[in-house]
This record gives sequence, C-alpha cells and structure tokens, in this order.
Amino acid sequence: LPVSLPKVVLKIIKHYQEEGQGSEVVQGVLLGLVVDDRLEITNCFPFPQHTEDDADFDEVQYQMEMMRSLRHVNIDHLHVGWYQSTYYGSFVSRALLDSQFSYQHAIEESVVLIYDPIKTAQGSLSLKAYRLTPKLMEICKEKDFTPEGLKKANIGFEHMFEEVPIVIKNSHLISVLMWELEDKSTVADKHELLNLSSSNHLEKSLQLLMDRVDDMSQDIVKYNTYSRNLSKQQQQKHQYLQRRQQENAQRQSRGEPPLPEEDITKMFKPPQPPPRMDTLLIAGQINNYCQNVKEFTSQNLGKLFMAEALQGHN
Amino acid sequence: MSRFFATGSDSESEESSSADEITPKAPGTTFKQSLLLSDDEEDTKRVVRSAKDKRFEELTNLIKTIRNAMKIRDMAKCLEEFEQLCRAFLKSKNIVDKEGVPSFYIRLLADLEDYLNQLWEDKEGKKKMNKNNAKALSTLRQKIRKYNRDYETEIAAYKENPQESADEEEEKEPEDSGSSSDSDGDGGDEGVSSKSFLKKKPEAASEASKFLKSAKGSGDESSSSDDDDDDEDWGSDTVDSGSESSDEGEGRSASLAVVFLKKTQDSDKPSEKKLGKKKKPKKKERLEEEAEEEGGEEVEGGWEKVKGGVPLVKEKPKMFAKGTEINTAVVVKKLNEILQARGKKGTDRAAQIELLHALAAIAAENNLGQGILVKIKFNIIASLYDYNPNLAAFMKPDMWKKCLDCIDELLDILFDNNNHIFIGENIAEDSENLAISDQPFRVRGCVLTLVERMDEEFTKIMQNTDPHSQEYVDNLKDEGRVCGIVDRLLAYMENKGSTEEICRIYLRRIMHTYYKFDYKAHRRSLGLQGESKSEQDQEESEGEDSAVIMDRLCKFIYAKDRTDRIRTCAILCHIYHHALHSRWYQARDLMLMSHLQDNIQHADPPVQILYNRTMVQLGICAFRQGMIKDAHNALLDIQSSGRAKELLGQGLLMRNMQERNAEQEKIEKRRQVPFHMHINLELLECVYLVSAMLLEIPYMAAHEFDARRRMISKQFHHQLRVGERQPLLGPPESMREHVVAASKAMKMGDWRTCHSFIINEKMNSKVWDLFPETQRVREMLVRKIQEESLRTYLFTYSSVYDSISMETLSEMFELEIPTVHSIISKMIINEELMASLDQPTQTVVMHRTEPTSLQNMALQLAEKLGSLVENNERVFDLKQGVYGGYFNRDQKGGYQQKQSYQRGTLNQKGGYQQKQGGYQRGGYRNQNQSNY
Repeated sequence: LPVSLPKVVLKIIKHYQEEGQGSEVVQGVLLGLVVDDRLEITNCFPFPQHTEDDADFDEVQYQMEMMRSLRHVNIDHLHVGWYQSTYYGSFVSRALLDSQFSYQHAIEESVVLIYDPIKTAQGSLSLKAYRLTPKLMEICKEKDFTPEGLKKANIGFEHMFEEVPIVIKNSHLISVLMWELEDKSTVADKHELLNLSSSNHLEKSLQLLMDRVDDMSQDIVKYNTYSRNLSKQQQQKHQYLQRRQQENAQRQSRGEPPLPEEDITKMFKPPQPPPRMDTLLIAGQINNYCQNVKEFTSQNLGKLFMAEALQGHN
Repeated sequence: MSRFFATGSDSESEESSSADEITPKAPGTTFKQSLLLSDDEEDTKRVVRSAKDKRFEELTNLIKTIRNAMKIRDMAKCLEEFEQLCRAFLKSKNIVDKEGVPSFYIRLLADLEDYLNQLWEDKEGKKKMNKNNAKALSTLRQKIRKYNRDYETEIAAYKENPQESADEEEEKEPEDSGSSSDSDGDGGDEGVSSKSFLKKKPEAASEASKFLKSAKGSGDESSSSDDDDDDEDWGSDTVDSGSESSDEGEGRSASLAVVFLKKTQDSDKPSEKKLGKKKKPKKKERLEEEAEEEGGEEVEGGWEKVKGGVPLVKEKPKMFAKGTEINTAVVVKKLNEILQARGKKGTDRAAQIELLHALAAIAAENNLGQGILVKIKFNIIASLYDYNPNLAAFMKPDMWKKCLDCIDELLDILFDNNNHIFIGENIAEDSENLAISDQPFRVRGCVLTLVERMDEEFTKIMQNTDPHSQEYVDNLKDEGRVCGIVDRLLAYMENKGSTEEICRIYLRRIMHTYYKFDYKAHRRSLGLQGESKSEQDQEESEGEDSAVIMDRLCKFIYAKDRTDRIRTCAILCHIYHHALHSRWYQARDLMLMSHLQDNIQHADPPVQILYNRTMVQLGICAFRQGMIKDAHNALLDIQSSGRAKELLGQGLLMRNMQERNAEQEKIEKRRQVPFHMHINLELLECVYLVSAMLLEIPYMAAHEFDARRRMISKQFHHQLRVGERQPLLGPPESMREHVVAASKAMKMGDWRTCHSFIINEKMNSKVWDLFPETQRVREMLVRKIQEESLRTYLFTYSSVYDSISMETLSEMFELEIPTVHSIISKMIINEELMASLDQPTQTVVMHRTEPTSLQNMALQLAEKLGSLVENNERVFDLKQGVYGGYFNRDQKGGYQQKQSYQRGTLNQKGGYQQKQGGYQRGGYRNQNQSNY
C-alpha cells in the first residue's frame, strides 16, 4: 500500500507541466522507504529531458549523483520505483514492462506511478500505482515469450499488472491550508468537472484505440501464418517419417540394414514463432483504453442526464 | 562458285528430290517386296519404315557426294563429307542395329580406303595437290583406317566379292520398278547411277593414272542416266504438270529449262521440245569437256546467257522458234517450264515476270482463247506476289501497279466470259480445259486468294509508308482501286462462288467499309429530315448507304458462315460501323448479344485488336450520345492499361528488349493497323477523361468523408495528382491540363469556368471538331457539365445551407427549374442528399444528418474490429485443425453479413444509412457473438 506525500504528487505534476507537452512523456525516480506493510513514497526527482546533443549523458551516474546529494540533505534516498506521465492512458508498452521488470527485479518493492495529466485537467487527480504480477515476473525472468511459454504460465492480459491502491497523506498543516483555499475559491473553479464537452477526448481515445486494434490485427495475422506454417511442416514431417518407416520395413524384409536415423529437427527447422508478448501488451493497452472510455462515458452520461434534468427544471 | 561445289550441290538436290519422293511411295512397294525377297538381307534393309528410310537416304546422299568429291580429287570436301557421314551413321545407329550394316555403306568404306591408298602412293599427284587437299588427304586416311577397323569383316567380305552385292542391287531394282510403276522413276534413277558408280569404281581402283578419264566416262554415264531420268520427268510432267511446286526434279528441271532456253536462243534451228531434249546429251557432253578446262563454267555460263536473253524475250518470235505452230498445248508447256524456275535460288524473278508477260502477249496475239490467258494471268500475279522473298517486305510501287492492272484485266476477262470460264482451286490440273472448244474453259486457280493477297499487300504497303508523307496519300488513292476490285470480285462471286467464298469476299468488303464514315448518308439524313418519305426512299435506292451494305453483308455472314473467325470479325465490324454512325443502341445490343466480351481473349491478336477498336468506337459513340457512364465503362479497359496505343494496334510502345525480342517486334509490327484507319488517341483519351470527370467529381464530393470510398477511374486520379504536383500552375496547354483544370473548377461547382476549360478554341481544334456532329456533342457536353456541377455543388455546400431556393440554383447553373427539380429529387431518392423539397416556396430544405467526426471514427473502429474478429477466427480454425474450414466459414460469414446488413438498415433509419457499411460490421459482430 504505497502512501505518497503531496509533495511527491505536486512535484510530478510540476514536472509534467514544465517539460511534458502533448503526447510527450516525462519520467522520474521515486524515493521512499518501506514501513510495515506500506511503501511510503516521500520524495522524487525527475529524469532530465534527453536531447540529441548530449548523447553521452549517463543516466545511472546522474541518479547516483542525485541520490547522494539528497542523502546529504538528509532526505530518504532509497529507490522505491519510478513515475511516468501518460497520454490518454497509453502506458502499457514494452518499454514500461522492461524497466518495471528491472526495477522490480532489483528492488522488490518498486512500483510505477502513472500520472494522467489530461484526466487531472478535467478536474480529478489521476494517479495510479502499478506492479507486475509475480507470474509476469517469472516469464520476464525466463525471457520466454513464445506462445507455449505464455500458455504454460497461463497469463492473460488482465493478469499482467496489478494496481496498488494509493493513499495520499497530507500533513495536517496542509489540510488546513486546503480548507482555507477551498473556502476562498470561486464557484466556477469548483465546477470544472461539470464540463459537458466530451467529443474531443473521446475522439482522441478512439484514435488511439484504433491504432492499437490495427496493431493487434497485424499481430494476429502474423501469428496465423506462423501456425499455418507450423502445421504444414508438421504434416511434412509426419509424411517423411512414415515414408522412412515403410522403407525401413522393406529393407528389413530384404535383410538390409535400416537407413540411418537422420536428424529430423535439422531437416525441418520449425519456423520462428512470433513473440507473443507484444500482443499481450497491446491487448492490455486496449483493455486500458476501453476502461478509460467506459469510465469517461459513464461519467459524461451522468453529466448529460444531469444537464437535461437541469434544463427541464429551468 | 567453285565448280566442285556446283556439281556437289547439283547432285545433292537431285538426291533430295528422289528422297522426298520415295517416302510417300514406300508403302506400296514394301508389301510386294517383302513377299518377293523376304529372305534377302538387302531387302530387309529395303523394308521401308519412314525413319529408317530417311536415315538411309541421308547416308546415300552423303555417299554420293563423297564419290563425287573423290572423282574430282577434292580431298577437303571428301573429308568434310566423310565426317558428316560418320555422324549421320551414328544417328541411324539403332536402325543399323536392327537391320545390320547397310552394304552400300560398307562399299563406300572399302572404296574410299582403296582410293586413298592409291592417292597416297601416287607421290607425283601428291606434290601437285595444294596444301589444303594434301592435309585433308592425310587426315582422312588416318581416319578411315581407324574407322574401318570396326568393319573389317564386312569390308573383307565385300572385297572378296564386290560384284555380288552390286548384282544384288541391280537385281533388286528391276523388280522394284516392276512391282510398282510409281516408283520406277526414282528407283531406276538410283539404280542406274549406283550401277554406274559401281562400274567405275573398280576401274578407278585398278588404274589410278587413268582416273581422270574414267571420271569423265562416268560423267558421261551419269549424264546419260540423268537424261533417262529426265525423260521420265518430262513424262510425269505432262501427266500431272499441275503440281507446280512439286519437289520432283526441281533442281534438275531448273537447269534443264535454262539449258533449253539458252539453246533455243543460240541454235536457230526449229526446235520442238522433244528435239531439244535429244540434243541435250550431246550438248552436255560438250559442256563437260569444256568444264574440264574452264572449271565450273557450266552452270554459270548457262545463267549468264539466259540473263542476256531476257531483253530478247520482248521479240516475241524468239520465245518459240520461228514457224512453230503456236497452240494451247505448246503455250501451257512453256508456261510450266517458266514456272518451274519459280521459288528457286538465283531465279531472276523480274525476268520471270517479263517472260510470263511475253507469253501472255503471245497467247493473246495468237488468239488462243481466254482460258489460257486467264491461266497465265494467274501465274503472273502469283509471281508478282513472289517477287519479295521476305514476308515482311512490301511491294514496290511499280510492282503494285502492275499487280492491280493484272487483277483488273483478269477480272475483265472473267466478266466478259462470264459463262465460259470456270475457275476454282479444286479443278485439277489435268481436267483443265484451256483450248478453244464448245465446252466452257476450266482453269485452275483462285481469284479470291489472289485478291485477298492483294489486299494484304495493300495493307503492308500502307504500314510501311510514312503516314505524313505525300507518298502515303498517293498510296491511299489506290484504296479506291482495291475497293473496286473487291467489289467486282464480289459481284462475280455472288454469281459463281460457294457460300464460303462469298463469306470471305464479303468480309473483305466489310473490312474496307466499316471504318469509313459515310458522309453522303450523313448529309442525306440531315438534309432529308423535312422531306417526304418517298423521296427519301428514292434517294436511297440511287446509291446504297454503307449502312445498308454493311447490314446486308454482315447478315449474310451471320447466317452462312461456318468459320467462327469470319463471323466474329463481321460482328465487330458491324458494331464498329454502327458506333461510328452514332447508332448506339444497335451497336450496344449487337455487342451484348454476340457475347464477344466473354471469350474474346481466346481470339487471335488481330481479332483482339479489332475488338479493342470496336470497344473504343463504342465508347466514343456512347459519349456522343451523352451516355457518359457507358462511355466510361467501354473505355475503361483500354485506357486503364495505359497501353491504348498498343492495344489498338496503332504503334509500339517503347519497351526494353527482355520483354520483347526482335522477332516478336517484327510480328507485332505486322499487326499494326494502317494509319488511315487509326482512331485518334487524343480524342480517345479526352473522351475518357471527360467522362471520368463527369462521373468522378460528384462522386468525390458525395463521399468526401467516406474512408472506404473507391476510385471510379484511377487514370483520372492520376492526372489530377499530376496536376497538383505542378510547382507552377500556368494556363492549361495540353488536353489533359485542360481537363484537370476543368475538374478543379467543377469541384467548386463553378460550371462556367469548367465549361470554358472543356470547350474552347484549343480543345475544339484538338478534339471536338473531330466528331461528325460537333455542335450537338458540344451542346450535350455543356448540359452535362451544368448538371454535374449542380450535383457537386449540392454535395459540397449543402452543409452550409439551411435551405436553398431552386430558382437561385437554376439561375446559378442556367438550368430550367424542372431540370433542377428532377436532379434534386433524384438525389433525394437515392439518399445522396439529405433534404426535402418544399413545393409551395420552391425551396430545398436541408436536413442535418451528417455524422460527426466522432461518429465517423466510431464507425471506422467498428469496421476494424470486424476485421480483427475475422482474423481471430482464422486462428481459432487452425487450432481446431479444420484446414479448409475457414473458407466455408467465410461464406457463412458473408451470409451472416448480409443478414446483419438488413438488420442494420432496419435499425438505423435516417441519416446514417449511407454508412451502412460500418454498421454492417458491427451487426456482424453482434450476431457472431450471439451465434457462438
């Protein structure tokens, strides 16, 4: 159960506001420590934005440097994960999987915080923490992404990530400040979340969803050809074996020595199976989009009904 | 030409001629022979199977050549031939295995060896030999030694008893000739010559020093044997002198004719043919003697003299010696004689034609009757055609003129003696009746073939003339004559010919008619519109319309023709002619009824070219009639390939050599349509592009947001893209640029600009003026542009209107209100335009029904998901191991799609109906879920 300080949240938001624009993604490191069964995230720092001209920039060096500096000022310096911003909920990707795996592999309790600035802009903070499921960890460890491997692990796109609930804990002083601010703020500010316009957001989501669906189709076609090739080859192999058997039987009846066994696997190289992990990821992503759209539309429908009722009332 | 070579080739041709003969005759002799001499070894060899026969013929030929070479001590030749012989013998190996080594082969081996040894020992002779010969001699000697080792026993046997085997041969020959009278000509020939060789050989073997003499003797002998043979030849000639190109004794008779001619010239004695022939042996002897010294002058000299004689031929009496009674038989003989030289190497074709002309003149002078004249004419024309040895080459203008004249004369004769002359291909040579008698003449020959050939020659001439030169125009003037000849022959054939022949000549006539626009009829139909019908009829009866002619001829062919090709051509020409004269419905119906579209790809290329031409003409016709869609469809195939030029046979496209070698190129060149029959390609393209524009622009406007919209015309889009890519847009120059500019204007609904781009001075001169009814076409075009611009305008801008008055529209597009009304109604009915008409105020009220972009997106997504599901199902199928399964499933799926399509339309009333495609997928998916 990660507990995060508002300072962390604000810092992440600030980082995005300053550096991330549009579909660009910002990333950073989370610091904190484990207390009982909670993971407390107490601080964070951003990765600097890469530019083309400083290619020799050493990230690890930078992180170590940063952590050392933080220790000097007596801040928790234990690495407990990382954060990333997202664009319309698109974060399930190979890159994320890989880095989260390496984090989780090295530091057991690591999480990834996903911050969705667009949803946040609509009026409700969207911050989610994810971890890889133990099953997925195993698969990643073995690097076995073949269809068989995935089948054996019995893993679906639903079981790739587990969401960890987050509690944001303010210090009491900040709570007081918040109350005061809320009192002062105008009505209009509060009603940000009642915005009725929806099509823009939906369109974007659909666009992204469509792209993923296309990818998915392609992957399926690839897999399809693969399995067809495989079965064809299996048949050939079978035929070959039968022929060989018959021949040997004949030779035996003639009293000749049987033909030497050749290496069948050499003769029939099985086609390269396409890695299925990508497909899984895409499925996960699609699932994610769908959840988003569903959530969004249900909220919007509520708003629309409300507006209708209001109109009727007036 | 070396003397050796000359003699060699001479005897070779002799042999090959007899070889050709023996094959067909063999079956007759075989049977009897095997009865008579079944145990004879020689005979088993003689049992004729065609393969064996051929092989042995080959061998004997080679042996003869070797013997000749031996005679003249040409060692190089000898060696060469011997090598060939060995190869040939090897080839006939399996036959030899079966039959045993043929004795004549052994004989040659033995003789050759002896002969070589002699030469080898004759030191003096060797010194005299030139280097080549000496070298060949030593090589040959070694070779034959080695070679003969394999046949030692046989050779030994032969040497012991050379006479016996020779006798066998001799014995066989008489029996042979006795057994079947057919074969005695060649059989005797072979027998005699081989006899003579046999006799000579031992001599030569014993007395080397006298070899020359003996060679001379054998020369005499062989010449006398030749002579015998000639006698037979002549005999056979008189029997069936009709087989003009019979291989029999061709080479010989060529030289014979030459010798004969020459002799008639330099010996002024009255010479009947028989007489001349009796003379000949002597003559030959003398020549031979001369040849000893002069070497090879024999044939050459003969030729030269003949050439010198050609101009003399003009002096007619020289042709036949003075005092000869010139009658039909003599002339026919003479004719045959001349003809025998036909097709031979070195024959002077021009001289031959001259001779034939002279002969014709003689025949005419002596009043030998029309029959003979006709026959000679036939042959003159045939020789004229033969003048060019190459199929691709075309006739020289003077030849062509002569040919036309001849055919004209021939037809004159035929017409003058309509009832007295029968001609036909199947009248046998011997049943000809050429003499003047009560019976009608019977002449072998086919005018139709000649005329057809003439027509082809004409096409060839036109193909090979530069179409932009005065020469072409001059040549084209002959077309009238060609047509005249075809017409006359047609009239003749209608009385005389069989239906088949009539069909053929009709087709010729059609081929000369179909592509010509009948201006007379056109003017008449225009001019007579107001006048009464009776007058019209009268007028028509004066000169037949080409349409009437076409109709009559084609219908005859439809009814009577048995070969598919003539009918197909006739149909296509008929359609073409209809289309050319704007009889669209007839043309279309004929095209549809003939079902030619289904199987035209199996036709030969010229017919396919004709088909393409017809389709194009049909399309242009449809365009003139304002059937834009039909025009587009008809032209689509031709234009979309981008090879219209090639498909219409109007020129070759530049292509690299891998796709087409020189040979193919030649063939393709021969298929080209002459220039005066060409269809203007620019006109064609313009018609196509304009019709594409009229269809495509409104379509594009209507489906602007449709993700799945298809292109109607790729080519048109290509042009548009090319236009867009232009960095600088100047005023349009070419036809294409005009169309592109017009399309752009049309897209905005600006019909005036569009109109000015399509119809202006430039385009008029380039395209529109080429139509016969220019004004009408232009009017139609303007009208179409207005209508389609209106549609485009409504599609494009309906979203910015709430309502629009029809009056305004009619003013904008200069169309009458009823027309506007009908167009809009049509669009509403077709659900292209979401609107309704308000009758009292004459306005169109728009409905807002276009889907938002979000909805569009959702539709696209649904579609994509549909395909995703399909793909997924395939995977599923594989897993279940149903290999062929998904095809079935696909069909089922298709069916389901249809169902859901209906459901979709039911569910989705109103504005989304044009997007049914999208919903259909969605429905499909739903249904699938419920089904599985």
